[in-house]
This record gives sequence, structure tokens and C-alpha cells, in this order.
Amino acid sequence: MATAHHDEHPAGLMRWLTSTNHKDIGTLYLVFALIMLFVGGAMALVIRAELFQPGLQIVQPHFFNQMTTLHALVMIFGAVMPAFTGFANWQIPLMIGAPDMALPRLNNWSFWLLPFAFTLLLCTLFIPSGGPAGGWTLYPPLSVQGGMGTDFTILAIHMMGISSVLGAINVIATILNMRAPGMTLLKMPLFVWTWLITAFLLLAAMPVLAGAVTMLLTDRHFGTHFFDAAGGGDPVMFQHVFWFFGHPEVYILILPAFGITSQIIPTFARKPLFGYESMVYATASIAFLSFIVWAHHMFTVGMPLAGEMFFMYSTMMIAVPTGVKVFNWVATMWKGSMTFETPMLFSIAFVMLFTIGGFSGLMLAIAPADFQYQDTYFVVAHFHYVLVSGAVFSIIAGVYFWLPKWTGHMYNETLGKWHFWLSVIGFNLAFFPQHFLGLAGMPRRIPDYAIQFTEFNQWSSVGAFLFGFSQLLFVAVVVQAVRGGKKAEAKVWEGAEGLEWTVPSPAPYHTFATPPRIK
Amino acid sequence: MPMTRLPETQHRAIVRTAVILAAIALALFVYTFWRGFK
Repeated sequence: MATAHHDEHPAGLMRWLTSTNHKDIGTLYLVFALIMLFVGGAMALVIRAELFQPGLQIVQPHFFNQMTTLHALVMIFGAVMPAFTGFANWQIPLMIGAPDMALPRLNNWSFWLLPFAFTLLLCTLFIPSGGPAGGWTLYPPLSVQGGMGTDFTILAIHMMGISSVLGAINVIATILNMRAPGMTLLKMPLFVWTWLITAFLLLAAMPVLAGAVTMLLTDRHFGTHFFDAAGGGDPVMFQHVFWFFGHPEVYILILPAFGITSQIIPTFARKPLFGYESMVYATASIAFLSFIVWAHHMFTVGMPLAGEMFFMYSTMMIAVPTGVKVFNWVATMWKGSMTFETPMLFSIAFVMLFTIGGFSGLMLAIAPADFQYQDTYFVVAHFHYVLVSGAVFSIIAGVYFWLPKWTGHMYNETLGKWHFWLSVIGFNLAFFPQHFLGLAGMPRRIPDYAIQFTEFNQWSSVGAFLFGFSQLLFVAVVVQAVRGGKKAEAKVWEGAEGLEWTVPSPAPYHTFATPPRIK
Repeated sequence: MPMTRLPETQHRAIVRTAVILAAIALALFVYTFWRGFK
């Protein structure tokens, strides 16, 4: 039961192992995501160090392939998704006036599956055949032929999938059943709305991935030929099933980012969000469209023309609700009394840089042009603009925004601004040149390259190291705020609106035991 | 703070929501696998 626990809680390790408190579990998710950010980041730096010069200098090609594969899996399933789930745990009950998540014990289990899943995944680096090396998409035939690391990966993905589905069930059950009296659906903060829709995406997409990797497993060990052409199967079917999961997954990674941005921009523009309802409908439209665009990842696979046309136009349609969102954020800032604290800086950077990623996405959506861009660094540049300056920047913005509420202390604004500027410069230096590399024909996932690509790669590597190391500053700011600092008030930001700002800072261990009444 | 429990009706609604959603997830997994056989 949601609120049937004592005010006291065990101390030390047992508190964290057995906690059913949404704030504790939120903290666990966020700390786990931060650790994974650095694990995945270290892998990215191995990739960029190798690509600093043409030729092979630092790692063997097989290890390089393991790095690209594991970097993606760790960042997607280990860093970004758990970070957003951490926000969901901390903020959803606080924002809807609920005492906790609807299913607190399930919540504990959802989290504790993750460390085991990632231990399983990362320990593949120490087994003789090495880690998975066929790319995070696990396309057969490579994934069927790969070593034991692929089996570990499949089991790890099953565990992550169970964790995500259980987390999604919890979020939906909480939002649908635990809102404070008077909080109708269209009074919910936008972060809650985006998470509700994300949870439905998770629920629909993750079981499909589980089905796909189960078929891979039976192809590998139980004599089936789902994806083996020699046995009457079809490797392209894996691509269809995978991307039926994979494209909604992209929106699972970005919709909560939209939600965080929609909380921060009105706060620092000191104006209500422009077009609240249109934001909700745009989010729902994006979620629906995300299920009918999957084959734009496969334009070069040899589809019928009608298929190419359908997926090209359906993909372009996503620009409409996304444009609505960008317009609304800009309109919220229009004539606002804006101030530029660190969360706002990251949110403004999010709007600008995510839009660049959106535009390069539109370029990739054009099927005939995609034949040129497919599997080049242009794609790498595109999805890093969407996922780093999109998802990761919004996560950082959200941490700065709610950190005083979580810890009870203000963070160091000067260090925060340093962190912002180093991140934004490092990020653009790392990824903007990759557009040019891709357009000039440099393929992705290759440890060597033709000599004419050297200079852009060197810029990119310098930027990546700058971006990577500047995240240490982020850790310093967070640790500093956890340990002490200027006391934060209940309403931390002048323009902040919402239930979470009505409770003291730090938020008490139990909040809203008596539900607030919303007018 | 005294121990509090959610009202029984709310508790039942939560369990009902969770069971329905879990059934949907399981059905999608089985359907994906079954499609593979076709």
C-alpha cells in the first residue's frame, strides 16, 4: 500500500536496499544514471581518442566495435532512461499531491533490477569473446554469430525491459489513481503529462524489444531460424521488429525532456506556459506518430517505393507537433521577465540545439537523400544533437532546477554557469563537425578513416574531451549542494508554480500524507 | 507522522490498473513472438 509505512527508515545500506520511498528510489535512479553517464562517457572518449588520427593507434577494431555498441546501450538504457525515471519518482508524487508512487515495493524492484542488468552487460568486456560488438541495434546475422557476450546482452536487455515496464505501470497507476482532489488531467503539470504518455510508449515498445531479442536467443541456441535466410527466415524482419520498438524509444528518451523544459522556461520567463493544451496534444500526437515511422531507419534496406513514401511522409509529419512545442517555448519567453540562472541556460540551449537535431532529422527523413546519409557521421551528429543537447541537457537543467528542493541547499551558481558554457562549447565542437564529416562520406562505426577527414575529427575529439571532463564540474556542484550551502526556501525560484514548491526544502521524507485540495 | 493507508477503493483501482497494464505488456510480447512464426 502506498502510504502504509513508518516515518522512520533504516539507516545505512538497508535504507537504500529496502526503501519503498519515492524520494529515496528517485535518488537511487539519479545516482545510478550519473555513474552510467561516466561509464558510457569513458567509452565515448575511447572512441574519440582512437578517431583523433587516421589509422589504428589505441585500440583494436573489435574492441572499438564493443565500445560503440556498449556506449549506446549504457547511455540509452543506463543513463538517460534511469535519469528520467529518477525525476519521475521524485517529482510526480510531489507534483500531483500524492504521498508516494502507487506501487512502492514494485518501485524498489524496478530500480534494483538495473544494477544487476548492467553488471551482466558490462562484465562481457572481461569474457574471452568480449562484449557485444554488432552495434546497439543487434542486427542479425552479426548478433546471431557473435560470442557469449551477446547472450549476456540479451539477458541484460530482458532485465532492463522488465524494469522499464514495471516502472511504466507504476507511473500510469500513480497518475491515474493518486492525483490530489481537484487535480484534473488538464491541470497536471506538463512534466507529469509527458511522463504519462512516455509510460504508455514504454509499455507498448519494450515488450516488442523483448520479443525480438528472445527470437535472437532462440536462433542462437534453440535451432529456430527467425532471422536466418538459409533456414527460411528473414534478417530484415529483425530490423522491422527492432525499429518498431526503436523509434518509440527515441521519444521515450525525449518526451520527459520536453516536460522538464516546459516546467523551467515558464519559471524563468515568469509567465505561464504558452499553449498548455496544445503542448499536451502535441505530445500525444508525437507519441502516436512514433509508432508509424519506424522504417525510416531502413530506407536503404530495399523496401517497395510505396513503403518508402509512406515512411518518408509520416516522419515529416512529426515536425508539425514538434514545431508547435518549439513555438510554444519561444512564445513563453516572448516579452517575459527573463533571468538566466543555470537551469534556464540549459533549457534555452536545449530549445536551440534540439531544433538543429530536428532539422537534420528532417533531412534524414527524405528517402532519396537518406541513401547518401545512411550510416555516415551525419546520422551520428543528428542523434547526438537530439539526445545530448536534447535529453542530457534537459536532465542537467532539471537537476539544477530541483536540486535545491531535493537537498535543501542552493547550488553554486558561478560553477553552474561555468559548467554550462564549457558543456555547450565542448558539445558543439564535438558534434557540429560530424555533420560535415558525414556529408563528405565518412562512415560511422569504423575505427579508421581516409586522411581528408582528419581535421574535423581532431576538432571533434578535442570537443568531446572538453565536454566529457566538464561534467566533473557538474558532479562537484551536485556534491557541494548535497553537503551544504545557502539554505533554500520552499519556493526556490521566484516564478515557480506548482505543488512541489509548497513543501519545505529539502522536501520532507513523507509529503502529502493528507492530500492537498486543488482549486 | 501516523501510519496512513489509502482507501480500499483507491487501492483496488491501483491494482486493477496495474493488472490490466501488465496483461497488455505480456500480450504484446507474446504477439511479437507469435508474429515471428508466421
